[in-house]
Amino acid sequence: MLQSEAAGKRPQIAYVLDPRFPGGTSSAVAAELEVVRDFADIRVFALSTAMFEDQGVAPQLDEALNRLKLPIVWDATEIAADIVVLHNPSCLKHQDDLGVRLIARHLIVVTHENFLRPGGAEGFDVAKCLTQIQRDSLVLERHLAPVSAWNRSTVTGWIASHQLSQTWTVLPIDWFNICEFDLVPPTVCPADRRGRHSRSGFEKFPSSKVMELCFSPSADRNVILGADAFLLDDDRPSHWTLYPFRGLTVSQYFEMIDFMIYFTAPTWRESFGRVIAEATAAGKLVITDPDVARTFDGTVVAAEPENVDKIVQGYIDEPDRYVSDVRSAQRQLKKFSPATFRSNIGEMLTKLAGGSA
Amino acid sequence: MILLISGQKSARAFDGLLLFATQLDRRGHSVTIDARCMPDEVTKQQKFEAAPFLVDHQEVSPDIVLVVGADAISDEVQVFLRALQLDADVPIWTLGYFADRQDEITAQNKIAYTIGREPKLLNLAGPQRPALLEGCSAPLTFQIAETPDQQAGDPARLIVYVPFEDLEEPGVLQDLARIGYSAKIKLHVLTNGKGKELIRQSRYGVLSVFGYSELPPADIMNYADIVAFFGGGIAGERMMALALGAMGAGKVVIDCTGPAVLTTDGAPALKGPEHVHSLSAYLEDVVLDNRLEIGRRIQKSDWLRQFDLKKIEQDLRVTQPEARPAETSRTVYFPTNGNGLGHAQRCALIGEAMSMDSNLSFAAFPSCIDMLQSRGFACTPMVSRSVEHDDPYAADLVNHLRLRDLLSQSDQLVFDGGYVFDSVYRVISALQIPAIWIRRGLWQAGQIHPTALERERVFSRVIVPQEAFDELNTDYSTGGSVHHVGPIVRLNASSDADPAELRARLSAHFGKPIETLVVTMLGGGVASDRTAQTQLLCSLLEQRKDCLHLVIAWPNAVIADGLHGWNNTQVVRTSHTQDLCRAADLTVSAVGYNSFHEILYANVPSILIPQSAPYLDDQERRARAAADRGLATLVLESELLTLEREVSAFLDDGKADDIRAALAQTALPDPGNLAAATLIEEGLGA
Repeated sequence: MLQSEAAGKRPQIAYVLDPRFPGGTSSAVAAELEVVRDFADIRVFALSTAMFEDQGVAPQLDEALNRLKLPIVWDATEIAADIVVLHNPSCLKHQDDLGVRLIARHLIVVTHENFLRPGGAEGFDVAKCLTQIQRDSLVLERHLAPVSAWNRSTVTGWIASHQLSQTWTVLPIDWFNICEFDLVPPTVCPADRRGRHSRSGFEKFPSSKVMELCFSPSADRNVILGADAFLLDDDRPSHWTLYPFRGLTVSQYFEMIDFMIYFTAPTWRESFGRVIAEATAAGKLVITDPDVARTFDGTVVAAEPENVDKIVQGYIDEPDRYVSDVRSAQRQLKKFSPATFRSNIGEMLTKLAGGSA
Repeated sequence: MILLISGQKSARAFDGLLLFATQLDRRGHSVTIDARCMPDEVTKQQKFEAAPFLVDHQEVSPDIVLVVGADAISDEVQVFLRALQLDADVPIWTLGYFADRQDEITAQNKIAYTIGREPKLLNLAGPQRPALLEGCSAPLTFQIAETPDQQAGDPARLIVYVPFEDLEEPGVLQDLARIGYSAKIKLHVLTNGKGKELIRQSRYGVLSVFGYSELPPADIMNYADIVAFFGGGIAGERMMALALGAMGAGKVVIDCTGPAVLTTDGAPALKGPEHVHSLSAYLEDVVLDNRLEIGRRIQKSDWLRQFDLKKIEQDLRVTQPEARPAETSRTVYFPTNGNGLGHAQRCALIGEAMSMDSNLSFAAFPSCIDMLQSRGFACTPMVSRSVEHDDPYAADLVNHLRLRDLLSQSDQLVFDGGYVFDSVYRVISALQIPAIWIRRGLWQAGQIHPTALERERVFSRVIVPQEAFDELNTDYSTGGSVHHVGPIVRLNASSDADPAELRARLSAHFGKPIETLVVTMLGGGVASDRTAQTQLLCSLLEQRKDCLHLVIAWPNAVIADGLHGWNNTQVVRTSHTQDLCRAADLTVSAVGYNSFHEILYANVPSILIPQSAPYLDDQERRARAAADRGLATLVLESELLTLEREVSAFLDDGKADDIRAALAQTALPDPGNLAAATLIEEGLGA
């Protein structure tokens, strides 16, 4: 039981987000609402941002909100609560005004998208987005909440090189994505069946050379789900089995592979990497680059692309090690469980709502 | 080398790329376009403009890559970028008109993801981006000349852009024609394809008209000192490029558009009348006497500086290549590929009449190269048309590239032919070199129309070789640039070609006595099938004792198998036709310009059988003029019995001698070989 619960006081938390955001972010927010609802009174406010015009509410979020009987209030002109949690500020990048007045003790902006890309280039016009929020918020404190260690480094890196009002602070603990997947036991006789899945954006894929190293002709199978760009390329390798984004269900895809090899463009990095946790939960051994592996320390194999063949072969030769490592990784996923979120983030929220600020 | 890639694979993006590539090329940069950016549907004009720049991305090693129109980069182009194999130190630039910082980041990110490293960024939309550039993708840029690029004195060269809709208005064509009549103005109308067709079909069809995609704007501009724009706005990036480029070149730009789009945006254009009717008075009152000074002031405009190519070069950190050292001036002859060697023969005759120190060479089709090289001329091979090509103009596309490579701005081009190829038209327009059109006359009635003659405007001189008889000479165009010279004809047959000696050599060569020698040269069989006439001649001459019948086979001639079965007939390939004709008792010939005049000037008795095809000259008129004077006999293609009678009359009844005597007594015009050569030499010196 949290301190505030013991005191009989439930924090008033307003969630502000554009619920049309596709993919893992909406899944994470849906899971988060379930957890936070246990100890706080929640209202959900939707922004109709220019970024997601003509799109519908993300299905996973829609389903969660219906289940939790949380109505969406669209485009309110004023939102007041103990705490306002604004998810994903990058959704404001194509507009100039937030369009709503935020009044709270604390405003927490969860930075799902990296502020900087590897190398230091801006991931989006951060100042434009934060300025809109700052201008339209009447709060005691504004906080930025990174979602992972890497995401945190991009936030602090951006702050170090840009002028940001001193009214912003960076929360000390990661506002991680809740990963609550059913755990599937690993196969006891892994084969060289490799795969990767992601959205189809170019940022999700490394260079052709790296792709060839990760999905080599020696593999029994190379399944790439979300390979829309490669399907446009006449020179794509013939030993790859390509599917466009949503060309297979994720479960169908996982049935086809034993190893998830996940590298991205060197100029982009996952802010969290929910896809990796998903693969681990599905009983697959994940091999990825060392920087992405930092978020999932202990659950994935960090490697350079040149070593992928050797690592895969090593696990095929030692199936017991494969099973052991996957099971170990699955145990590690509790770091991203609802319980952990409730313990870490929930405690912090309750403190903030209690007027400690 | 600069490699350009458009943000999208579309007709519009590609056209923008072409405009930018052309500007960079004119500035001396080595510039290429990734061929994958070419859309599936491309116009003929775009193909001509693109051909010099298109490259296979796998075969080039650029020094810099510019992604143009990156503000709307597509997935397809990102796939292209992904496949580029570049050294890590080759900079890739993201170019576009970005509305804000987020647009810049979005474009930069997309390229960074595909190439795996950071591109550089250049936002073409400056703080005061003119509204008139709304929707443009490529950088509209140009060189600002140091002094106005205008021709001094009268007439002032005026281009008037009028959209089709305005041309349809009552009186507009008449007003344009009135401007065209002025001795102070040389008018070109600029419009779209429909507008051009409208003018051609009207009573003002002789107006000089440019289609607005007919040439790159940078080349259209070369034909103007003043450019006026009418209509509801500036139509598209091409016309905008023309307007801006003309200002940069110090030409007078007059904004006659309804909403005054140029002047409202701050462009240093003059605000002119909205109606064509008032343009003439406006030019007279405001522009003509002051156009150089107006041009100078336009060039000083700060507004114009934002489009200066030098500025983009600085932004992109590329430097203008040093100008190539001036090369020795050359005269390059380009004879068209007729059915025979006529055009090339004529050019060779003129070339031989030029002074010994002339630096001349040929761009020639394969059928002519042996003949030209045997006469000592260097040749660059051109490509002939073929039914195997997908596009009917595919060969000319290649020839355009060859001419572009061959010629420099210190050269002059001499073209001999009826239809001015796109390759010729474009290379002259681009290089602005002296160009001379050798245009023999006697066109058929259907060939004489404004479209056939409109490309005369790119030539500094037109040389019209005359026909031997006055009634055959017609002026298709007039003016100070059109020069008439006497017939171009070969006079000095081989020095060792004494007729008797030649007959003796032929006798020895073929191993038979020669009492009668007949030469038949009825063409290559492409334009007109002369198998029946040739076979009849073979048959008639087969019956004669000690007779040699030589059938001249042109390069590429279709030779019927049956010709080889006759005892008295031999098929020969030779360039010494004149010697053979002079030695012959009878020549049976087609009536092309060269053959006809060689026959006349060499006193050769002949039966003339005209060829007839829509694209040939009027051979029958030519033959009839000689026949009416008793200098040859005309036999039409259907008159086989007449042909039989005439052969007998020539060989048995003394008609050959009568005609030889009549020719000897006929005063023919002086040949024009030297006069033509002198005009060409003067052209290079001009």
